[in-house]
Amino acid sequence: MSLGSYPITPATDILHELSKHKSFGVTTLQAEDEIAGVGAAIGAAFAGSLGVTTTSGPGIALKSEAIGLAVMTELPLLIVDVQRGGPSTGLPTKTEQADLLQAMYGRNGEAPVPIVAPQSPGDCFAAAVEAARIAITYRTPVMLLSDGYLANGSEPWMIPDVDDLPLIDPAFATGPNHVSKKSEDGEPDEFWPYLRDEETLARPWAVPGTAGLEHRIGGLEKGDGHGNISYDPANHDFMVRTRQAKIQAIAKSLPPLEVDDPSGEAKVLVIGWGSTYGPIGAACRRVRRAGYHVAQVHLRHLNPFPRDLGEILARYDKVLVPEMNLGQLSKLLRAEYLVDGIGYNHVRGLPLKAAELAEAIGQLVGQAEGIDVDLGEHGLNPPADHEEAPLS
Amino acid sequence: MSIDIGTPSLRTGTELVPAADGPQTGKEFTSDQEVRWCPGCGDYAVLKAVQSFLPDLGLRRENIVFVSGIGCSSRFPYYLDTYGMHSIHGRAPSIATGIATARADLNVWVVTGDGDALSIGGNHLIHALRRNVNMTILLFNNRIYGLTKGQYSPTSEVGKVTKTSPMGSLDHPFNPISLALGAEATFVARTIDSDRKHLTAVLSAAAAHRGTSLVEIYQNCPIFNDGAFDAIKGPEADTHLLRLEPGTEVTAGGRTWAHDPTAADPADQFAVSRLGDTAGPLGLGGPIPIGIFRQVERPTYDDLARAQVDQSKAAVEGTPTERLTRLINAGDTWNVGG
Repeated sequence: MSLGSYPITPATDILHELSKHKSFGVTTLQAEDEIAGVGAAIGAAFAGSLGVTTTSGPGIALKSEAIGLAVMTELPLLIVDVQRGGPSTGLPTKTEQADLLQAMYGRNGEAPVPIVAPQSPGDCFAAAVEAARIAITYRTPVMLLSDGYLANGSEPWMIPDVDDLPLIDPAFATGPNHVSKKSEDGEPDEFWPYLRDEETLARPWAVPGTAGLEHRIGGLEKGDGHGNISYDPANHDFMVRTRQAKIQAIAKSLPPLEVDDPSGEAKVLVIGWGSTYGPIGAACRRVRRAGYHVAQVHLRHLNPFPRDLGEILARYDKVLVPEMNLGQLSKLLRAEYLVDGIGYNHVRGLPLKAAELAEAIGQLVGQAEGIDVDLGEHGLNPPADHEEAPLS
Repeated sequence: MSIDIGTPSLRTGTELVPAADGPQTGKEFTSDQEVRWCPGCGDYAVLKAVQSFLPDLGLRRENIVFVSGIGCSSRFPYYLDTYGMHSIHGRAPSIATGIATARADLNVWVVTGDGDALSIGGNHLIHALRRNVNMTILLFNNRIYGLTKGQYSPTSEVGKVTKTSPMGSLDHPFNPISLALGAEATFVARTIDSDRKHLTAVLSAAAAHRGTSLVEIYQNCPIFNDGAFDAIKGPEADTHLLRLEPGTEVTAGGRTWAHDPTAADPADQFAVSRLGDTAGPLGLGGPIPIGIFRQVERPTYDDLARAQVDQSKAAVEGTPTERLTRLINAGDTWNVGG
């Protein structure tokens, strides 16, 4: 793999760490700026490497045009955004989840990019593998949305067996894939760089050095199949829809969501994404310990959403969406499923607090079930025998 | 702290790129795409020269990659039947850096213009030059923005009247040769679109050079800046040109010396680059030097980067699976349960 990166808090540790692992064939380039970092990664991808670039929100803003190029050229690219407080320089050392819509929409034109978010420090490894799988399989840039809380956090990590890790096959193109009019035997005799796999809609990845597959790609619109420049209106409409359909097709490869609803009687669903998994889970457990019902589901894939998400959301009377932003996932859910999610939004640069969130969940459970809810010692009220820590 | 990174043996030119099985023709390097520049554009001459010259490199066509940015000249890759990428404005050197670093077996070219390379992409250009990444950069300098229909560029002369400078441009222009020398480039040359023989000779030397080669090509834009180079192209061209060869006698600042592109100290080469007042209308300020200003050897970034990877690989034992297992089991680990 080839990493092109420019130091930025809180993402720099990835560049530090990977720079130590050259023995695995990892090349790290500390670029002159954020744009050069992603540029080098795109170049490496064209040359047949997994191109990776790591940054935080301000860096994503700078890389946006190049990410659009990777969307258009349909090259595998892994973009890691370790989110921090924004906008602008914001709170460089503090955590936030406010880049979701930037990851989703922050490019010119219709430029869909899959988004994967790890839920805990120990989940970052598996989430990165998943993001790489999507990037390579579907020939697309993929956004891995971490944040400062995950980047600086730690937890026990179940060490995987290397043999159990998924094998991600780049399946490089090796020969012609299209029958031209000149073909005498009806066999493919030319290479079309935008002829797609029927299942994944991915285009072939033909790397320089492969004879007979010479081709040119770029940021200009491509004709379907042959990949030459095309200004044809119908072709553009088709290609825009096809690029979108390719990203949507990823949903077919995603496992069903795991809904944590132990009693099966919950009327309230709490849905989150990314690093809020820990606090949301803790809050839900507090509510349950106090004797009430609540369900939790956590999203790893933000684009496309898992195929069963709509049906799950529809099962519950009320949906609470805790986020460290002003309601970005809420917006996406409302747009996609017409779900009137209720936001729980803190943008203090700090992780959510389980006890506070538990109170908010409790209130919603009360409304949904028409009961009075008192979490007692499981909410913000300390137990009767609680002792304050002595002042030192 | 700094450590000695070692001095790996200097590689030469294109030795790591596979050679073609036999002779190739310009036709093989010509794609089926219709060339779409304005009639009379200088880009045609450069394209023709490159298509004719590439077979002489003797390299496998599939191991040649052309990368461009945005601008008229940046359509270049579409017309060559090699691998190519028409990228985004100013970023071609960074993309080429990624390609060259990822693969030792590729011959990498960048096609760019004065706006692409010196304005929006100025940062990437100077950093490619200082790193000395193995690529050849063709900088088409027409001293105007053509694709956007006629605005002054970073190489337009002061006072240039364009659509965005009706009272004359205020910008002092770059001299691309001086800029490249200042960035400590290892190969710096200038040539002219209409002088096929000189163009081909310079491109041959640039392609053979290992490291970043910068070739400034004076190129006429017949629509938006026609005649910008007439003084150095017409019948009296030779009175307005200084054709640089090793040993060419150069006089400047009351001093005369023999031009030496291989001199490690770029001071004299820089002095040569200042001749002829390229900041003003060409031809008025004395002969304009063309040819190779600087050609020195320095290890390339990509060779050094690959050497560090190879060195690291050689220092470890075991299969990749064993090594990865060792890596993820390092640090604080413990067994849970049974």
